[in-house]
Amino acid sequence: MNLSRRRALIGAGLGISAIAAGAGGLDLALRDKPEPESPPLADAKGDLLWRNWSGIQHSYPAARLAPQSESELAEAVKSAPAPIRAVGAGHSFMPLVPTDGTLVTLDQIEGVEGVTSAVASVRAGTRLGALGTALAKAGRAMANLPDINKQSLGGALATATHGTGRRLTALHGDVVSLRLVTAAGEVVACDRATKHELFDAARVSLGSLGLITQVRLNTIANKRIHRRVWLENLDDAIEAAESRWEKHRNFEFYAVPFTGLATNITHDETDEAPVARGPDRDTEFLELLRSLRNLFGFSTPLRERVAHWLFTTIDSTPEQAIDEGWKLLSTERPVRFNEMEFHLPKEVQLKALREVVKTIESTRTDIFFPIELRRIAADDAWLSPFQGGEHGSIAVHCYYKDEYKFLFTLIEPIFRRHGGRPHWGKLNSLRGRDFATLYPRWKEFLEMRREMDPDGRFLNAYLRNIFTL
Amino acid sequence: MTQWRQPADAAFPSVRKRTQPAFLVIAFVLLFAAACSRPHGPPANYATLEPADARLAQLYDSTCKGCHANPASGAPIVHDHDQWDTRFEKGMSVLTAHAITGFGAMPAGGQCTACKLPDYRALILFMADREVEK
Repeated sequence: MNLSRRRALIGAGLGISAIAAGAGGLDLALRDKPEPESPPLADAKGDLLWRNWSGIQHSYPAARLAPQSESELAEAVKSAPAPIRAVGAGHSFMPLVPTDGTLVTLDQIEGVEGVTSAVASVRAGTRLGALGTALAKAGRAMANLPDINKQSLGGALATATHGTGRRLTALHGDVVSLRLVTAAGEVVACDRATKHELFDAARVSLGSLGLITQVRLNTIANKRIHRRVWLENLDDAIEAAESRWEKHRNFEFYAVPFTGLATNITHDETDEAPVARGPDRDTEFLELLRSLRNLFGFSTPLRERVAHWLFTTIDSTPEQAIDEGWKLLSTERPVRFNEMEFHLPKEVQLKALREVVKTIESTRTDIFFPIELRRIAADDAWLSPFQGGEHGSIAVHCYYKDEYKFLFTLIEPIFRRHGGRPHWGKLNSLRGRDFATLYPRWKEFLEMRREMDPDGRFLNAYLRNIFTL
Repeated sequence: MTQWRQPADAAFPSVRKRTQPAFLVIAFVLLFAAACSRPHGPPANYATLEPADARLAQLYDSTCKGCHANPASGAPIVHDHDQWDTRFEKGMSVLTAHAITGFGAMPAGGQCTACKLPDYRALILFMADREVEK
């Protein structure tokens, strides 16, 4: 019998509720922690709180800038109190943004200025979701998109944000040229021919060389793609992963801890007629996994058996959708989380995954978020984690109410042992000396940073720490 | 959506006997009026709604709208009284604090870096369709 995944999930949810009721309210809602305590709304000086998306980073900027234009920004930077930090959607889990100086939003420096042939001129404050809509009007699209599209283009480039696909680079790989406002309030343009070293340094630069205001991006024709999502035994998914990365335009999979299962997602170009994506199902799936954790977290064998039974006997029909890529490649993520993601040499990605799953399942029964695996093509930006060859990413997520420090003690050592480079915006404990060993052009980047911002006006405490060996 | 079944009259014989036709008419009118005064679900034009003030509209467009005019986000949709009224009962100080510190799926600050305290209040009132209560 074919059941839609939505109906299956609802059925599974009802099943779990029934089990919970039958077990006399064993649904351990109590396992759900309360809302994390919030910092005060304002500090002693009356400066308003800024907090990142997940809630673990915060600061009280003395000044907030929302310039309407590049020239206004350039003028304001000259006298703005340091550290001057730009923020987009605040999706970084690392302390890249916190400042008690000036917080800058480029929300008003946004939109597509024009598209010439395949190259689009885009203002850096443009949110990725809005960029998809704007490019589609010109018949164009980004070649790839990250899982979340709330970020600003500037923020996504600064942290080497990426999608998946072994022949597709991270977003900064599509940059043809860029303009940035320096600490001195000057506007500098660079590309592969003009100031090429600055171009190589600036494409991934954590807002430390200047504030990127405009980017020219390579785009592709806006085509329809076919999205397929299906569940499979984790061992089978791992076995087939390499061939799927080879075969599909975009392929990723999620190892679902404590179930023995994986969710596979592929996207391939098609000329077939559109098929609506339908309502969000990932959130239902996630809520179900949380219920399983709450109910059966006391017994890993029982939790695995129930989960496996639920998902394999009921949920067998793949989800499918056909639409333009910018509508399908990203997903709404209304459930907040904290995350550690490392990019590993592709040869060790799946081996590292097995170690991560084994570690979580043997030590952290509170984890229920799926573990995400993606593949990214190489590029040559100096601080690109994908510099030097194709990389495979592994991302471990924790519900925002749950304790996440184990990521540093249990998970990060696995990634480090396999030569991983952390995502610049995601949790890691690396210092400057660590990055120096991971990035062949680290020294040149430090020199470029000193040249561009000798007084360190764009450096907050975290960046000062990693850029000082 | 949950379907509510009307209880069989036989289960409430005493109530039925005491109910007067005039009372039924009044009750019907009141219920109808209540239903009309508070539309159910998002209004048809939710995607194009904007604050009248140009600056607020700019802030709304670049931040709040991404979730509050996007049913897939799970956020309460602009002008949807079904979703906003219960939240509004908590009081403006609670709603404003939640908007700034984050709460549940709501990210801190609503990702509005340029928003000041009065902006948060005004945007909440707009989204809750309570601007007349400013």
